[in-house]
Amino acid sequence: MTIHQPGRRLMHAVPLKFVQHKVTGGGSRATNANLSLTPMIDFLIVTVVFLLITFSASGETAMPKGIKLPDAENTLDMIDAPMVAITGSLILVDGNAAGNTRAIEDSKRLQRIDELFNMLKAKREVWKQLHPGREFPGVVVLQIDQDVQAIVVKSVFQTAAFAGFPNVSFMVNNIPKGG
Amino acid sequence: MGGVDVGGGGGGKRETNSEINMIPFIDLLMVTISFLLITAVWSQMARINADAQVPGPPREVEPDKIEPEKQLHVEMRSPDKFVLIWKQSGTVISTVDVPRKDNMVVKDGKKAIRFPELAAKIEAEWKSVGGHRDATDKKFDQAVLHTDNETPYVYLIGVIDAIYQPHRPFNVAGKAEQVPAFNVTFAVN
Repeated sequence: MTIHQPGRRLMHAVPLKFVQHKVTGGGSRATNANLSLTPMIDFLIVTVVFLLITFSASGETAMPKGIKLPDAENTLDMIDAPMVAITGSLILVDGNAAGNTRAIEDSKRLQRIDELFNMLKAKREVWKQLHPGREFPGVVVLQIDQDVQAIVVKSVFQTAAFAGFPNVSFMVNNIPKGG
Repeated sequence: MGGVDVGGGGGGKRETNSEINMIPFIDLLMVTISFLLITAVWSQMARINADAQVPGPPREVEPDKIEPEKQLHVEMRSPDKFVLIWKQSGTVISTVDVPRKDNMVVKDGKKAIRFPELAAKIEAEWKSVGGHRDATDKKFDQAVLHTDNETPYVYLIGVIDAIYQPHRPFNVAGKAEQVPAFNVTFAVN
């Protein structure tokens, strides 16, 4: 038995003339089809452009756990301002604890929250040092859980005003009108 | 694949037709689309404004005596009705009762409440009594919200949303925009 050198000989002996005939389109429609890439690339480019135009980082805001915001129709666009989050148990300023919700609910009276007051006042001072000669906007955004009692909301509202933030905005989920 | 055909190319010289490999280009587009879709913000946050009505710093020249303005007081302490009271320097001008229907909708643990009758009535009241309508007017009509201490926040937002239903033009950077006609604040008691 002779020894053959291995090489590209696979299936050479098999007469696949009918396949070759079919592929080259002999006698009937060719089985090879060219896929036109132009419409696909056009579509991809349009999609990329649309997504880039609608891309917005302004609506992306870190939300502490335990806060479910209510919905509202008549809203304004979000602004860059200090965030005060109010959960069922805590008051947080930019993620740092600044008061206890339960204590205010139990006291059942409108009060100034000292920790919150001091933190907001410090923020105001920092802003004034960073922006000398400019008028302080006095805006604070409140992220409040839907079940928090009104006494807490009013206490935080009043504390913010005392600390120099009279313009208070409530963060909500925007829903379309009639939705 | 994409390419440029300039014809010719024979005579022993290098082929002048060139092929552009489109595969990396398509890959880049696909990756960009995936990135943009993943980082897209689907829930749009917004805000509702309120004003604590704190007096500003003392001015060098005090303005002339200004006549106290009308304020709309919205009373939501009763479980079956809202009361709209127009007051001017403590004097009641008019009072309107609006039946209250709390149609709370709970979806995936999220509560939503709307008061369309209240919103319609407030809009009608503002159209007849409201004093600041012109786009050049920098002042807004004031609404004062009266609520008890235990009311959940979702109800407050429902009522504030209804108060913000009437809109008026307001000049922002020389362009008139539609903004809520009222400024809302909370009553202390």
